[in-house]
Amino acid sequence: MSTATRPVPKKDQLSSLERVVLALQYKKPDRVPVAPLVCGASRRVTGISYARWSQDAEAATASLVAAQDLIGFDGFLTLVDLSVEAEDFGQKLIFPENGTAYPDFDDQYLKSADDYDKIKRVDPTKTRRMKTVIDIVHGLAKARGQTVPVMGFVYGPLGVLSQIRGHAELFKDLIRHPARVLEAVQTINLTLIDYAVAQVRAGAHAIVIDPLYSSATILKKETWNRFEGPFVGAIADAVREAGAAVIVHNCGDGVYFDKVIENINPVGISHAYPAYGSKSWTEHAENWGKKVVTIGGVDPAQVGHVLSQEGVRELSREHIETFKVADGGFILSTGCEFPPHGNLLSAKTMVEAGRLYGQYE
Amino acid sequence: MSTQQEFYEKLATAVNDLDEEQTAALAREAVEKGYDAWETIEQGLVAGVDRAGKLFDEEVYFIPELLIAADAMYAGLDILKPHVKRSGEAHKAKVVIGVIQGDTHDIGKNLVRLMLDVGGFEVIDLGRDVPPQTFVDRAKEVGAEIIAIGTLMTTTMEGMAEVIRILNQEGIREEFIVIIGGAPISQSYADKIGADGYGSKASHAVYLAKQLLEKRKEVAA
Repeated sequence: MSTATRPVPKKDQLSSLERVVLALQYKKPDRVPVAPLVCGASRRVTGISYARWSQDAEAATASLVAAQDLIGFDGFLTLVDLSVEAEDFGQKLIFPENGTAYPDFDDQYLKSADDYDKIKRVDPTKTRRMKTVIDIVHGLAKARGQTVPVMGFVYGPLGVLSQIRGHAELFKDLIRHPARVLEAVQTINLTLIDYAVAQVRAGAHAIVIDPLYSSATILKKETWNRFEGPFVGAIADAVREAGAAVIVHNCGDGVYFDKVIENINPVGISHAYPAYGSKSWTEHAENWGKKVVTIGGVDPAQVGHVLSQEGVRELSREHIETFKVADGGFILSTGCEFPPHGNLLSAKTMVEAGRLYGQYE
Repeated sequence: MSTQQEFYEKLATAVNDLDEEQTAALAREAVEKGYDAWETIEQGLVAGVDRAGKLFDEEVYFIPELLIAADAMYAGLDILKPHVKRSGEAHKAKVVIGVIQGDTHDIGKNLVRLMLDVGGFEVIDLGRDVPPQTFVDRAKEVGAEIIAIGTLMTTTMEGMAEVIRILNQEGIREEFIVIIGGAPISQSYADKIGADGYGSKASHAVYLAKQLLEKRKEVAA
């Protein structure tokens, strides 16, 4: 599409917060909200290392605010990395200068299936990493909370456990030692409930829960439902009780929307692929578009690393068109964290595409 | 079905039923009975993993089941491998495989390794969090035909391009087939960085590798 045929972008009529709140209620705002999930990539706006961004709440907050100023995205997500909770349960982490922190898989806290009882409930407000995220939420809420949604983040208990035990070993333990796994999941979940509520108290408008393994590429539906479904459901209940909205994030392929909704009942689901059973985004929009707000659509790797700006604009336009059937219940997003080393201009182009093609009558 | 065929069937069933102990016991029994180790591997262990792979494709088995089937197969393989008569084994193309630096998610890579193992390749596994230069150095050292690189994260996918950049810089790009895979990877990304092939599923790895080797032979001829 040439620039000559492009519509003229209209000035935003609503704040990001108003826009997202309306979209999550299937009420058409001024335009489609855009949330490219710029998290770790924000560190490049302020020029700090990943290691610092991951561990210094003040620096991370400043980076996220600066990125929002630059890009104009419609929501903050405090997804720092998937090892935040794991460290506070005892897992040793590695903090690369220019990459996401990850567990030292050569030194797992749970070295065998006999170690599951080493998992003890902790107070997230007295930990190192979860407290950092709570502080980031607080900082963002203070800086921009009146106009931009602040979405806290909690990794599901099975996901947290996989960081502490090792993914492959945990998956095998689901079959070999189910009772031990369930006990650890239960203990971890008590902390996660406290953690989610602490983020709400710090000013989060919503909590994003990530049940990563509710995906057909990883676990059988019944297996996920047994080992994590009811537990993440309990986190969701606590979040709603504390007065915030519940959103689900899962960047796995083939998310079990039926079971996720049954257990968590979120207002929106952020996802990178069509739901399990939907062969395309068009089919997904038809099957699920009016049942739960889709936050996603555009492939993060394509947007961050492959496409030209014209390509990003066109891909965004296609998804806005596809989700017109959702009657306002759609947020254009990458459905997965924006690639930390990806082209930041592409995130800005997504927002521009929202203004160009996502206007509601 | 002969007694020996029945035995292989029993071994394949043990792998497919995720029974590591039974698999190991049967592998030991095969050695005691003097069955050909290579035939036992192919008709027992590999057949069992193939079945598990089919159940995975049909969404009967998922990652946990496939991992345990792999454990069972390797338990049997450890016992049988020392008894394989080398002359009976055809030349195997060598594949250097690993997860790129910064990424430690290796389940996908392990499944690809398993598929390649049972698909007739000699696999040199570099593990996870592997620096780009190490892929190149090890491929040169072992005389690999294929370099297979995986990653699960958008944060680390650029390391794959770095492997190809090093190969180009050293003037040896044409000596290796580079295949890539992992959740954020796509054919367009493979095209962009100049990889030879991309696989969306572990089960595609063998077909992809064989197809690219054939293509290379045709070009060379």
